[in-house]
Amino acid sequence: MTASIGMIEVEGIAGIIVAADAAVKSADVELLGWDSIGGFTTVFFSGSISDVDAALKSGAAAAREVVEHVVAAPVTQPQPACLEFVTNPVNKDAVTKSGALGIVETRGYGAHVYGDDEMVKTAAVDVVHVITVHNRVVCSLVQGDVGAVREAIARVQTRLRGYEHLMCTAVLPQPRPEVLQAFAIKAGGGGGV
Amino acid sequence: MSKAIGVLETRGMASLLGATDAMLKAADVCVIGRHGIGSGWVTVVVEGDVAAVQTAIAIGRAQAQRHGELIVAEVIARPEARAQDAMPHAVASAEVEIDQRALGLLETQGLAPLIAGADAMAKAADVEVCGWAFIGGALCHVLVRGDVAAVQTAIETGRRAAEKVGTVYATLVLPQPIAGVAPLLPLTPQSTGGRTGALGVVEVIGYAAVVAVADAMVKAAEVDIQRLSIGSGGRISALAVGSLDDVQAAVQAGREMAGQVGGLDGVALVSRPDAATMSCFVSVLEEVRQGGARRAMGLIETRSTVALVRAVDQMLKSADVSYEGSYKVGYFLTASIVRGDVGAVRVAIDAGAQEAAKHGELVAAHVIPQLYEEVERRLPHH
Repeated sequence: MTASIGMIEVEGIAGIIVAADAAVKSADVELLGWDSIGGFTTVFFSGSISDVDAALKSGAAAAREVVEHVVAAPVTQPQPACLEFVTNPVNKDAVTKSGALGIVETRGYGAHVYGDDEMVKTAAVDVVHVITVHNRVVCSLVQGDVGAVREAIARVQTRLRGYEHLMCTAVLPQPRPEVLQAFAIKAGGGGGV
Repeated sequence: MSKAIGVLETRGMASLLGATDAMLKAADVCVIGRHGIGSGWVTVVVEGDVAAVQTAIAIGRAQAQRHGELIVAEVIARPEARAQDAMPHAVASAEVEIDQRALGLLETQGLAPLIAGADAMAKAADVEVCGWAFIGGALCHVLVRGDVAAVQTAIETGRRAAEKVGTVYATLVLPQPIAGVAPLLPLTPQSTGGRTGALGVVEVIGYAAVVAVADAMVKAAEVDIQRLSIGSGGRISALAVGSLDDVQAAVQAGREMAGQVGGLDGVALVSRPDAATMSCFVSVLEEVRQGGARRAMGLIETRSTVALVRAVDQMLKSADVSYEGSYKVGYFLTASIVRGDVGAVRVAIDAGAQEAAKHGELVAAHVIPQLYEEVERRLPHH
């Protein structure tokens, strides 16, 4: 039985990607996956009680750098039913690209159609996934060398400067493979209406 | 891909449909994709020569603001395939036949005004109620087809009827819609036929509330709960069919229960629904579950997964109940169901509600000592 699971919930999805990467790097926890309810998403990881506590602390701190609404809590000795909430489990067999990960999150889909176009024209990056969760949240994930990703994200920030619904951007210079397996592969998006 | 693309995003389907119709008429462009991302925001992607797309987007931008809210209108002169291939917008295929008839669209907040409006439209003029859909943010729309004059009359009557019950967001009449807008239209539901009688709709916010309301309705009078239907924005309706007296009694009981549980959003009572309206909204669900456990049911609904997981864990630890499943109706709402003896369920729900409130917003905590079997069968959770 799992000793403890940690949960970090944010508005949008960019926050839990950042949180997941920080959590698995800071303690010996296993990334389980994520869940989305209309507009909020939650990332789940498991481990020993102290590992989960440490991961929660650093994961939540990292998430707060990019989003305002962050809730973090553990469940110690969780009932098996708690694991049923992980509706998007990490796809451990998925082959992921190496390289930095760039994240652009907005409300609205139209902005991504041209924002992503700008990114791939600016630098050698690939759009690996466009995730839509409820409440208009759309998140584009690009990968490439860290320099290229930084350029692409900087470009899209400039391009979307006048767009009032830009929520956040982030660059993970070296994301852990399981984080990419959870978020940066197609199929397994969060729903949408 | 050598052609230019244009992207137009609006709030509301009336706005998008009106703008798309104008775009396709103004320039040689075609719809290649559409996407809805909730909260009523919908996007259409068109393709054509650069000049045609520029003309189309300029027209679309102006038109969209007439019937709703414009979010984005942008031209990409030379789209990069590497970016566009990753986009999840559905490839448009004309699933709906567009003929020469005029088209009317009534867009409301919630399902109760929509049903009242649809029924009024069908009765007011010779129009066909063609289907409905929801796009999040409580917005849903119903489509009618017919002669221009009939559609205009119907939309005007429908708007007034819907306004008596709730809020109308927008209306749209296209006297001569262009065939290319077909990918944006809701699919015509298959006729289910057979159902007659009055139709009662009680619309609430949240899953816990609708289960309680549906249960109260079938216990109060001899009605069939035909469907628990999501109207978007966290709204979900219980649709009851029966004789007028029974439906009136059921709606009254449903309204009272909604007052207790919280979250009442709209009520509509259609005394003699038109057959087309009936088959449009009241499709008989497959019998997903037979019988069902005759044990008490406990529901906890929150606006946080963290709070809900903590609550479920606490419930299962505090009393002899079993976890049955979870259900999400949008608008940040998520509900879990536990089963057990009445006493155990009460203890569990108390403990779960306390725990949930510590970590997030608790929306509902409710115990149904014995859920009516018919409601049980219609529950959309697994």
